Amino acid sequence: MIAKTFRKALLPLAVAAALGATSSAGAAVFVQCGPGNSGVDATGKILPAYDADTLPTGVACKHLSAGDGFISMADGRTLYTFGFADVTAKPAADVMLNSLAANFAAPTIKLKQNQDFYLTLTNVAMTMRPDLFDPHTVHFHGYPQAAPVFDGMPEGSFGVNMGSSVTYYYKLNDPGTYMYHCHQEATEHMQMGMLGNLYVMPEQDANSALLNLGMSRPAPNNVPFKGFVYNDGDGSTAYDVAYPLQLTAMDPVFHDASLSINPLPFKNMKDTYAMINGRGYPDTVNTAPLPPPAKKVDYLLPAVAASSQPINALVTATKGQRILLRLSNLSVTEYFTITAQGLPMKVVGAGARQLRGPDGKDLYYETTSVTLGGGESAEVLIDTSQVEAGTYFLYSTNLKYLSNNDQDNGGMMTEVVIN
Amino acid sequence: MKSMSILKSLPGVFRAGLAALLLGLVGQAHAYINGWEGTGAGTAADPRTFELTAKHDFISTSDGGSHYTWGYSFGTDLPMQYPGPTLIVRQGDTVKIVLNNTLPVPVSIIFPGLQGVTATGGNPGQLTREARAVPLSEGAVVAGPTYTFIADKPGTYLYHSGTTPDLQVEMGLVGALIVRPNGYAMGTTDSHADRKAYEQPGTHYDRENLFLLSEMDPAIHWEAYWQVFSGQPTIAVDTSSIKPSMWFINGRNAPDTMLDDHVDWLPTQPYNALPRMHPGERLLMRVVNAGRDLHPFHHHGNHATPIARDARVLESAPGVGPDVTSPDFTVRSVPGQTMDLIFEWTGKGIGWDVYGTNAINPHTCNGSASPSNVFDPVTKEWCGDHNKPIPVIIPGALDLSFGESYSGSPYLGLTGALPQGHPGLNTTGGYFHMWHSHNEKEITTDDIFPGGMMTMLIVEPWSVVLFEDQP
Repeated sequence: MIAKTFRKALLPLAVAAALGATSSAGAAVFVQCGPGNSGVDATGKILPAYDADTLPTGVACKHLSAGDGFISMADGRTLYTFGFADVTAKPAADVMLNSLAANFAAPTIKLKQNQDFYLTLTNVAMTMRPDLFDPHTVHFHGYPQAAPVFDGMPEGSFGVNMGSSVTYYYKLNDPGTYMYHCHQEATEHMQMGMLGNLYVMPEQDANSALLNLGMSRPAPNNVPFKGFVYNDGDGSTAYDVAYPLQLTAMDPVFHDASLSINPLPFKNMKDTYAMINGRGYPDTVNTAPLPPPAKKVDYLLPAVAASSQPINALVTATKGQRILLRLSNLSVTEYFTITAQGLPMKVVGAGARQLRGPDGKDLYYETTSVTLGGGESAEVLIDTSQVEAGTYFLYSTNLKYLSNNDQDNGGMMTEVVIN
Repeated sequence: MKSMSILKSLPGVFRAGLAALLLGLVGQAHAYINGWEGTGAGTAADPRTFELTAKHDFISTSDGGSHYTWGYSFGTDLPMQYPGPTLIVRQGDTVKIVLNNTLPVPVSIIFPGLQGVTATGGNPGQLTREARAVPLSEGAVVAGPTYTFIADKPGTYLYHSGTTPDLQVEMGLVGALIVRPNGYAMGTTDSHADRKAYEQPGTHYDRENLFLLSEMDPAIHWEAYWQVFSGQPTIAVDTSSIKPSMWFINGRNAPDTMLDDHVDWLPTQPYNALPRMHPGERLLMRVVNAGRDLHPFHHHGNHATPIARDARVLESAPGVGPDVTSPDFTVRSVPGQTMDLIFEWTGKGIGWDVYGTNAINPHTCNGSASPSNVFDPVTKEWCGDHNKPIPVIIPGALDLSFGESYSGSPYLGLTGALPQGHPGLNTTGGYFHMWHSHNEKEITTDDIFPGGMMTMLIVEPWSVVLFEDQP
């Protein structure tokens, strides 16, 4: 009890120390959104009309914090993590108080082609590791024609210090499935969990003639398509429902070593928790945000301890619909192969490019498995018109990853429910 | 081999590099893969001939370690090297490779992907003919087999030992072979239309780099060292437990990958992996997986388009050139496989002028101070973004931790103020993009981050003259 009270007392002290150390250097939370910073109100909040989550046309903005936190594994174990949290709607003055808020997977970034995307990153420091002075970055993985200043690869540019903000700017010319992660001390920060989904939807989504091709389908699916993966020109990448699924894995020994301030085992890194969207099965199919780990609630007030894992990986569709899976792998150790129990998979894109040759040849292919290494992505369409309704399992065929550490029957698996 | 004939067989770049080293200077990046062209005309009567000798020595790793290694050396007098000498021949050449041995194990060479390799001399072995083991006490260079083949198809290949390759490739007996296509010509600085990877259209390039990816488990090397130097009658290292903890590009770990070729403090690791290019140039990436694991090789900066796999062009019909291919941002490099890709970078369409606004850096684009939808013919600037400022404020030095390869300016070719203590490694304002294994465990060296399978691409402004390309 004494220890707990002590920890609770220490927490604001640690935050104050971090703030104090940096405020003497003139650092501040500084949100930027749009020309003339017109997307930010007087308190430093991004205005709802510019919030990237609302899919605005023109300027889209997001504000992420980077720090540490705790997450729950599907077997009940708590892991210490580094990660991002969405602070888009927070006044600037509150952002540094966003302690232990790291999410896993990181907040999904959903964008539209032709947007001007302003991404502010604020380093809120490591609450549990006041000995660390790590900067952070966002690497928009796969962004074409990148310049180092916004690439988030700190060796060729910079990381943002504790208590400070940096705003990245991206003109979104090319639709596709990308991903994002911190590139500061990349092996460590990525193993610790600074990984998230990021994708860009094509301008063809506004093409009603192509969307309406969906209306020629038999009832009840005689409705327009929801969108397209790429500007295919022919509707061949149309879908009704879309799910980003990010494959990741963690080594609990590494995370425990980090929390206990021990040397980090790079050489012996061995991921035993394999996950989709930051959860192992059966948590992957739980549509509710996972409750915050007791350890997180313990350090924060229960009222402010939000879920660290709000994103699930359940795929649902109505028979006849076309499902789009935006697959990416941000594991730092493994290639993973994914199958969906015989559901027909058609791969239409990889590496945020439509599978189409330079002279227009379609290179789509049908398969029942997709293999991805770290930093690879693919778009898969599943046409459910010829399959029976029911629950299908989407899982790693690397069967050793179907476990949550030593708990069997879990890991990198989720369900595709076709009603 | 006589030293004069060795010197004659060197490509010009190597000779220049050697001369620079002799002068105590460091050379520069080049458009040309460092390697050996052998002697002879490449005809059946006068084959293009290389003499390789298997030797042992040590390599240095970026964590400060040094590891006992077996490798091929060029000729008989030079030290072994990791990877082995890059052999550069021409399509249609009759190629003859003479293998000698000094190691206390039998060794050989196989050439995956090449047909009609004949081996003569030496002793029969499982995959090919072998040079016999040479006990340390004998201390001799023993002649082994000669391998002969016709390099009838151009492309990127690897070669490695065909004798217990599970151990000997791990120990370092592996290298790259490049076959230049018919009609290939280096050209001049200003004109190199025939600088091609294959005969097909769409395979031309301005600069080329080899990325030979591999990994090692130091425990295997210590075990081999102990067995060899304690005089074991046979060398038998258990390879079933191999667990790599050191990852390499061209035989070096980061940051040694970014040093020059042939630095004298890495005598057994002569090859760097530091691509440099100008905006608008075509960089040919020859990616060779010479190890035992798959590696997702992620190249920051832009997508790259695969043009060939295993020295066969990705084409729908013979001769049409790469048309069944799509760009990606990560190369899947599979053990034993080679991939050739074309990488380009201009910064087109990113919404701001990479050379800075006219106020910061007075310049025109295609002769105009205003935007237009063309490239500048000289700087390859995309004029559509000309004179557009970066739309955000970059925070000050107190808010940021600058990386060692940041110039202090976000603009290409410009530099800016950097805090005290910054090493200032970027003096040209080049754009540094990391190229690395995205299984990020592999950018460490024996428990030390950073290291491993990582290097940088530098996009240099056209004002920076890259070491030019005369053969």
